[in-house]
Amino acid sequence: MKKLFLCTCNKTLNKWLDLERIQKEIGSTFESVKVHDALCLEEGLAFLDSEVSKDDAIVIGACTSQIIGVPLERRLKTEQVSFVPIREHVAWVHKEDKKSATNKAIILLQDGAIHVNHMEPKTAVDLQIEKKILVVGGGLAGLKVASDLVQLGVEVTLLEPPEFNKDDYVEKNQFMADSSTLKDTVNGLLATSKGAKKLNGTVTSLSGRAGLFSVIIKLDDGKEMDLLVGAIVVATHTEQSAPSLAKTSLYGKSENSVLISELATLASNKSGKTILVAQDPTYHESDAEGSYLLREVTQAAEKGNTVIVAHFNIYTKDENLYRKARESGVIFVRGTLEKVDKKKDQFVCRLENTLESQVREFTVDYIVLQPERKPWSGTRKLANTLDLNLDQSGFIKTRYSKMKPVQTSKRGIFIAGNAKTPMNLNDALASASNASLEVFKNIIAEGERKGWIPVIDEEQCDLCEACVNACPNDALRRDEDLIKHVPMNCEFCGICVSACPTRAIEFQSHKKDSWLARIEAIGANHKKLEGKKPFTLVYACSECANASIDQAGFTGKGYPTGTYVLQFPCAGMVSPIEILKGLVEGAEQVIVAHCPPGGCHHQTGDHLSELVVKFTQDMLTSIGQDPSRIKATYMIAALPNKMQEEVAHRG
Amino acid sequence: MDKRIDLLEAIRSIAVKTPMNDIEVPEKVVGFGTIEYKAQTCSACKKCILACEPGALDMDSTLNMPDYVRATVPMEGFRSKNRETLVTLLQSLKQDYNFGDVLAVSVPEGLAGYGSIDWSAEQCIACEKCIEACPENCLTLKKVYKLPEIVGEIEAVPVKRTEKDWEPFIICFVCWECSHAAADLAGLMHLSYPATIRTVRIPCSGALEPIHIMTAMAQGADGVLVTGCLLHECHYGGDSPKAGNFMQYDFVKFWSDIFEEIGIGGRLYIDFASAAMGIKFAEIVETFTEQIRKLGPSPIPVKSEVQE
Repeated sequence: MKKLFLCTCNKTLNKWLDLERIQKEIGSTFESVKVHDALCLEEGLAFLDSEVSKDDAIVIGACTSQIIGVPLERRLKTEQVSFVPIREHVAWVHKEDKKSATNKAIILLQDGAIHVNHMEPKTAVDLQIEKKILVVGGGLAGLKVASDLVQLGVEVTLLEPPEFNKDDYVEKNQFMADSSTLKDTVNGLLATSKGAKKLNGTVTSLSGRAGLFSVIIKLDDGKEMDLLVGAIVVATHTEQSAPSLAKTSLYGKSENSVLISELATLASNKSGKTILVAQDPTYHESDAEGSYLLREVTQAAEKGNTVIVAHFNIYTKDENLYRKARESGVIFVRGTLEKVDKKKDQFVCRLENTLESQVREFTVDYIVLQPERKPWSGTRKLANTLDLNLDQSGFIKTRYSKMKPVQTSKRGIFIAGNAKTPMNLNDALASASNASLEVFKNIIAEGERKGWIPVIDEEQCDLCEACVNACPNDALRRDEDLIKHVPMNCEFCGICVSACPTRAIEFQSHKKDSWLARIEAIGANHKKLEGKKPFTLVYACSECANASIDQAGFTGKGYPTGTYVLQFPCAGMVSPIEILKGLVEGAEQVIVAHCPPGGCHHQTGDHLSELVVKFTQDMLTSIGQDPSRIKATYMIAALPNKMQEEVAHRG
Repeated sequence: MDKRIDLLEAIRSIAVKTPMNDIEVPEKVVGFGTIEYKAQTCSACKKCILACEPGALDMDSTLNMPDYVRATVPMEGFRSKNRETLVTLLQSLKQDYNFGDVLAVSVPEGLAGYGSIDWSAEQCIACEKCIEACPENCLTLKKVYKLPEIVGEIEAVPVKRTEKDWEPFIICFVCWECSHAAADLAGLMHLSYPATIRTVRIPCSGALEPIHIMTAMAQGADGVLVTGCLLHECHYGGDSPKAGNFMQYDFVKFWSDIFEEIGIGGRLYIDFASAAMGIKFAEIVETFTEQIRKLGPSPIPVKSEVQE
C-alpha cells in the first residue's frame, strides 16, 4: 500500500501551506493520507508503528530527512520510504505565497510517490570481514590503536618499520610533548598493547578488498609473510631534517648552530647567553611544531637567556603559549635571517625586519633552527604499495578532512597520528582513538552494511570499463569478461551509473527510468498547477548541497517557488541525460549542486559534475540552445545563502 | 602490413592524375573498403580499436553532434538505452537550426564513456574484425574505396612525346593452364599477332596480385593484359564463385577503375581463352595492342629503362 503521512510540525505548517487542499488534490495518488502534528515525537512514532506495515511504501511529508530520518530509520517497518521536506524546502522558504507554496508541496509529494514506486529493499552487504587488523608504524599513534583494539578484543598485528627504536623515538618526537610525558605515554601504551603481535618489516604487496585484504610483509630477517586482515591502520611517524636556512646559519659548520631539539640542553647548562631562534620562511609548520617552538623558547628565556625569535609565521592554536613567551622576555622579530658572520665565539646575524622594512643586526652566542618535519622516508613507497594518495607535503591524504579525518582514499585503510600531519601528543592520541573506533565499527558491522547497490546487466555491458575507471573506491573490477561489483568497497555514490554509456549499470531504487519519470512528472504537474510560470530544477547531492538547501530553510532564506530539488546520492551521478531531460520537460534552468571543490564525500563527484555540466553546455551550444540554462555550483551547509543566490540569478 | 604500404606506394608512383572519385569495390574483391561509423550508437568502449590489427582506428575525444542530431530514433537500432535517450533529448531540444551549424563537441578529459572513432582509410584492410568486435553495431563495411583520400594529391607529370618508331610494350600475364596453352596453340597454328607482348606465366590468373600489375606499369609497360581459362572452366575452382578467374575478373575491374582515376585508364585488360582457342588468343592480343596504340605510350615516368 502506498501511504502518505503529513506532519504539521506542531500545527505550524498550516500557516504557510494549505494542508486541506494538499490532501484533497493528492488523495487519489495514495491509498491513504494521514496528518499528524508531531511525527518525530514518541506519539508520532507510535502512530507510524500502528499505521505502517512491512510491505507498505510510504511518503513522509515533514521536515528534512536529516532530522526526521534519524528516529524513523529504526522505527519504520518498511524500507520503501521517501522523505519530502515540505518544511525546509517549501513552508519555510516560501512564506510569502501560500498558494504557490501549496502547489509546490503537491508537486513534491507526487514526486515522492513516484520515487517510492521505484524503490526496492536495500541490499544487505553480507560479506566476510576478517577480524584482524594490521597497524603499520609502531609510534605513539600506532601503539594507541593497537592498545585500543586489543582491549576491545581484536587481533592486532603491529608492524614496525625497520629503523624503529623506542628511546630514539622519544628523543626525536619531542615536538609532540615534553620528554617525560612522552616517555610515560609510550611506556604506558607498550604495556597496554602487549596483546598485539609485533613484527619488524615492510609491506610489499596488497590485494583484496576492504574487509579482506591480503598483505605480504617482508620481515627484517628476509622471510616473507602472508597476512589476511580486515583493515589496515597507517600510523607512520615523521622525520626531521635541517631547513633550507641551515647553510646560511652555518649549521653543521659550527657547534653553536643547532636544531631546536637541542635548545633545552643548551639552556639548562648555560644562562645569560644570547640565543637567536630562526624559522625558515619557506616552510609551513604545523600547530604542533609552532607550539613546540614557543614552549622551548619560553623555557630558555626563563633560565635567564636572552632569546630572540626571528619568525615568519608561528602557527599555534594555543594563544597562551605566545603570551607566556612574551611575558618570559622572548623578543619576537618578524623577519628572515639573511646573513651570518662568525666573530670569535659569537655570530653576527643580519636579518631584515619585514614589519619595519629595516635591516637589523644581532650578535648572538647560539643560533637555533627550527627543523622541517617531513613524513617518514618510506611513506611514498608504502603509499604506492597500499594505493593511497599523498598530499602536497608528501603526507598521506585524508579522504575528507571534515567528516572522514582518519579515512584514506582507499576504503578499509585508515590513518592515525603523524601519518597525516605533525601532531602534538593529544591530537595524535585522539586521532588514533578515532581510527580504532572506525576500524572497530567496521568489524562489528559485519552483515549489517546496507545500501542501494549498483546492479550490472551483463547483456548490456560492453566491457568498456568506463565504470571501473570512474569509480573512486575501486568497487568495480574487471574479471575476465565480466564487471564485478565489490560491495565492501562501495560507497553507493552512483558515479559508475553516470559513467556507463549503455545503461548496463543501474542503481537499485535509483534507476535511470525512475529519474526520467520523476523529472517528467514534475514538469507536467508544474504546468498543470502553475501554468507558464518558469521553474528551476536543482539536482543536489545528498551530502553538502542538500544540507545547504536545508539550511536555507532553517534560516528562512527564501527563493522563488518554482524550484524543485531532486536529491541524488552524489552530484557525480548526474549525467547529461538527466540535465537535458530537465530542459526538455520545460525547466527554465537546471542547477547541479555538489560539495565544495575537493570536498566531495566520494572524492571525485564535485569535479565530475563540473565536467558533465561543461560537456552538456557544449552540446547545447552546438544545437543552438542557450548553455547558461544549466550550471554546476557548490553548496555547503555553512553557506545557507547559496541556494537563494543561485536560484535568484535566473532569467 | 608492409604489403599494404608497398601497394599504396606503388599506386602513388604510377599515378599521373589526382584521383577525384571514390571507387566502387566489386563484390568479390576483399581487403578494400570503407568503414562507416554511426557515432550516435557508439559507447566508446574501444573494442574495435583493440581488434584492429593495422591500427586504422583511433579514439577521438569528441562527441559527434552532427550524427546525433541527424539520427532517426528508434530506426537505427540503438542497443544502448543511454545513447538513445541522449539522442532523443538532444533532438527534442534542437532549435530550428541548420544542420551545418551543428559542431562536434570535445569531451572534457576525465569524463569516461564518451568519444568517437577515427578511421584511417589508408591503414584499413577491410578485414571486418572491428565490425565483429563492436557490441553496439555501429560499424559497417561499405564497398567503396576512398581513393582520393588514400592517394592524395599527385603532381602533374610532363607529357611524353610519342617517338616515331614507338611500339606498344605490353606485359601479358597468362595462366599456365588454358591460356598459356592457347598462346602455344596460336604459335603452333602459325598465327601472327603483334610482337608487342611479353608473356609471364603464372599458376592461375587468380594468383596475380595487384602489386605485379603496378610493378609492370612502373617499369615502363604501356599496358597489362591478363588472360585466364574461360569463365566457369578455371582449373582451380571451375564453377565456384571463388574460382581464380572469377575472382581476378572482379579484381581487374576494380583496378581498371583505379587506373581510370589515376590517369592511366584503359591500360589494364582481362580476357579468357581455352586451350583450344589459339585464334581467340591472337585476337585478344591484337585488340589490346590496338587499344594501347590509340592511347599512346604510358604517361608514367619510367625510373629504369627496360632493355628489349
